[in-house]
Amino acid sequence: MRRREFLGRLGRAAVAFGAGSRAVVPSWRRGDAPSWRPVVAASLLVPMDDSQTNHLKAYGLTYRAIGAGLRAEWLLNYRGGSFLLPDSGALRREAALDAVLLEPVGDATVAAIKGEIAGANMDAVPLEKGPRIAVYAPPSARPWDDAVTMALQYAGITFDRVWDAEVLAGGLTGYDWLHLHHEDFTGQYSKFYLTFAGQAWLSEMVREQSATARRLGYASVPALKKAVAVAIRDYVANGGFLFAMCTATETIDLALASGAVDIAAAFADGTGVDDDADARLDWRGTFAFTGARLEPHPAVAAFSDIDGHQVNVPGRRQPLGAFTLFNFSAKIDPVPSMLVQNHRPVIPDFYGLTTSFVRARLKPAVTVLGLEEGAPWVKYIRGDLGKGTWCFLGGHDPEDPQHQIGDPATDLSLHPRSPGYRLILNNVLFPAAKKKELKT
Amino acid sequence: MRRNALGACVLAVVLGAGALDAQGVPRGFELERLGRHAEAATLYLAALAADPADESALLGLERVLPRLDRTAELLAAARRARAAAPRSGVVRGVELRATAELGDTRALAEAAEAWIAEDPGSEDPWREWTLALADRGALDGARRVLAAARRALGRPDALATLAAEVEQRGGDWAAAAGEWRTAVAADATQRANATYHLGEAPLDQREGVLAGLTAGGRVPSIGRQIAADLLVSWGRPLDGWRLLESSIEGTPAEVGRMLRDFAQRTEGLTDQDSRRARGLALAAYADVAPPATAARVRAEAARALLDGGDRAAARAQLLQLVDARDVPPDARALAEAALIDLLIRDGALGAAAARLAAAGDQRLTGEDAQSLRLDLARALVARGSLHAADSILGPDSSVTAAALRGWIALYGGELAVADSQFRRAGPYAGPREDATARTAMLALLQTIDEARAPELGRALLLLAGGDSAGAVPALQRAAQHLAPASRAGVLTLAGRVAARPGGDPEIALRLLTGAVAADERGAFAPEAELVAARVLLHMGRTADGITRLEHLILTYPGSAFTPDARRELERARGTVPRS
Repeated sequence: MRRREFLGRLGRAAVAFGAGSRAVVPSWRRGDAPSWRPVVAASLLVPMDDSQTNHLKAYGLTYRAIGAGLRAEWLLNYRGGSFLLPDSGALRREAALDAVLLEPVGDATVAAIKGEIAGANMDAVPLEKGPRIAVYAPPSARPWDDAVTMALQYAGITFDRVWDAEVLAGGLTGYDWLHLHHEDFTGQYSKFYLTFAGQAWLSEMVREQSATARRLGYASVPALKKAVAVAIRDYVANGGFLFAMCTATETIDLALASGAVDIAAAFADGTGVDDDADARLDWRGTFAFTGARLEPHPAVAAFSDIDGHQVNVPGRRQPLGAFTLFNFSAKIDPVPSMLVQNHRPVIPDFYGLTTSFVRARLKPAVTVLGLEEGAPWVKYIRGDLGKGTWCFLGGHDPEDPQHQIGDPATDLSLHPRSPGYRLILNNVLFPAAKKKELKT
Repeated sequence: MRRNALGACVLAVVLGAGALDAQGVPRGFELERLGRHAEAATLYLAALAADPADESALLGLERVLPRLDRTAELLAAARRARAAAPRSGVVRGVELRATAELGDTRALAEAAEAWIAEDPGSEDPWREWTLALADRGALDGARRVLAAARRALGRPDALATLAAEVEQRGGDWAAAAGEWRTAVAADATQRANATYHLGEAPLDQREGVLAGLTAGGRVPSIGRQIAADLLVSWGRPLDGWRLLESSIEGTPAEVGRMLRDFAQRTEGLTDQDSRRARGLALAAYADVAPPATAARVRAEAARALLDGGDRAAARAQLLQLVDARDVPPDARALAEAALIDLLIRDGALGAAAARLAAAGDQRLTGEDAQSLRLDLARALVARGSLHAADSILGPDSSVTAAALRGWIALYGGELAVADSQFRRAGPYAGPREDATARTAMLALLQTIDEARAPELGRALLLLAGGDSAGAVPALQRAAQHLAPASRAGVLTLAGRVAARPGGDPEIALRLLTGAVAADERGAFAPEAELVAARVLLHMGRTADGITRLEHLILTYPGSAFTPDARRELERARGTVPRS
């Protein structure tokens, strides 16, 4: 919603408040909006602790408010990472419809909150403008097969889809935020080629990807995906923000490390994995990982030893535990602080083709945001690359821990307080934060 | 060529051969990605000047030189590399492909034969030669090379997957299928590959594929297994089962493995045919399975057959379980219970009652016997046989029986008795949906002052019997005799029924609007609004439905229906899946 439209609705709502009395005739019979008596306050606090009734929609409410030009603040570590918005009838109405709990607060309360923030491990970060969002997904991608897409749609945050042609043509420059979900950048169709042979969706995927590679002048899908991985790395190096989940995290680094090395099985490019591929991988240009060993067997649905859980490999599969979010200093480390705002410090783990990241495979500069205590893997990491920044979260769907192909889509209206999905939405809102000089 | 070679020499002198070897190839790859192929070629040539057998550099050249129309240089480099490393398969492969690219079939044959002479036991030269010909469309030539390869290697099944690909490229899917059969017979791990590739066969070629897999006199069973797999993946699981079933042979262990494989192939497929095919395979497997597992497999077969809609076959499996001698007593009791349950669900209530009486407490556990009595009573109630149902319940004093007696009283119009029995049953008796229905009915009864309402009882019995069309006007008539607050609940119920698929949405809207009007501040108003909104959405009147939902949410924020309204609103807006 543009600012003018938003303010227009605000004006209409103010007129409705002027009518004064509570409606007793249902509005759908009268044909106008229901009215209620407004309570004037300086601001609306959107608490994000356990009292909140719909955490996920609260992000959308905030995103749309700043998109309409309203001033907002993200109160890091204050009641689960609350938001402070200016009071308006339109916001109240949206919040009521979406079951978002608001607390109208006057100037004195706001001052008290700010005082508390000043004296504790908290901070107030101004949110400037909603980031322009792109989601990397094939044209045929089903809308409900991607946790980030689902979170964005549920929260009411708009985004565009981009695919290989747009990425290679430099189409990412118009976006602040790029999301990758379960793309396999090694070009091996997530290594489902043999295990799901004959399935219509796999045939369609193979056809679509092969046709795209041919159309764009690449000899094979792996070659195309390598080029796309490089373009995405360039986008981040030039100041973009990348958020990746599931397979995309592991495979984009494998693609970037591979260079001229053939890391794809014969079914993907006609030739097998190079015998000495592991030794020839060059990790200098990758985001997060180093020194990994490839899984060369075409029928083993794993890519390397980066993933700690190996969900589809009998004998290697590890059970799910829970991961703990790291508590950062809000004033000194606002960036990682924003990314871990949550009302739950410990979150049940969830599988994906890439579920977790083995600690021994992380580059030294990577910041761990969430980990399973005592396990050799971590779940949630971030880092900087050039002028940009990236963030990786392992797993497929925080509310479907054992997700299988063909499972029904997750209905987020049943999980409005999902702490796992909050991590995704932290990432969406993070680029809206006003940049300030970091102390570390 | 000369200029490029000169450039390579200069680079080699400036950087040193070692440095080029270490850095030239990765840098060349970066240049390749930037589309600077000529510069990449220069770097690769420089690397080869330092080490003529550098395979990475040679492969880099193979990628860039043909794009620059400089394949002759590639061939020269490959020949130099071969002189330096005559046993390198990579180098030989590049030489062979470059030769093919230049279109010299004779030179291609010479290069291939030289490679074969160097490494006579290897399939690699034959594979590259075949592919080089096939890539140029010379499929007959490719077939001849394959035949020669098999003779030379002394293995008629050599290169079968490649042969299948050649036949597939030529559009001869039947021949491709035959080659895949050969490949899988030699290496069983190729079965998934065969299924994948043959699964791509166009519709009009599929019968040919099946023929290719199953042709001949004594056909190895692997061909039929692949054919059965394909039929499953083409959405014809029952045909797959019939094909497999018609030709199963071997030792009991082999047969068992085949049947188990087929059952596993259909596991997880949710369509009815697949479930039925799985059930049939499991039933056959149960016949040959070791006694220790046979009963479990047969029970699984019965379940799959039930899911697949083949109740007769399911019943037969259950009867076998019940009558078999070596079935453990607990398994027999389970089968007996499942069989009676099936009879009840099939509406054979007389047979079910007879079997239940005969089985008694000897062949059924006490818990099962009671549960089946309740199920039978429910079925009798739904059929309108209230007295028979009451008599089946007998002296049962459980809360579930009390709940059932409540329904029997309700349908007889004895509202006060029904209310009392429902209260006695409490909120937890029976399955969750029963408890929910009972609680909803109790809520309705609490708004009605009359102790007896035979007309309402008859209307509700029509509803319980599945006669929605008759129930709606009957409920409407019954509502007219009630006070406004009582009327709202009955009209809401009637509206809900009219809103079901096959009902009349306009009538539903009228009834629900009447319910709201009868008692706008009452407990039934938000429910009536929610149902009305759903009706509007179902009619395609999305904007009206959304308005009504928003009104409900904002007007009744504390109602138990408001969370449902919010979810409905999300679906209407398209922000959550509709499923």
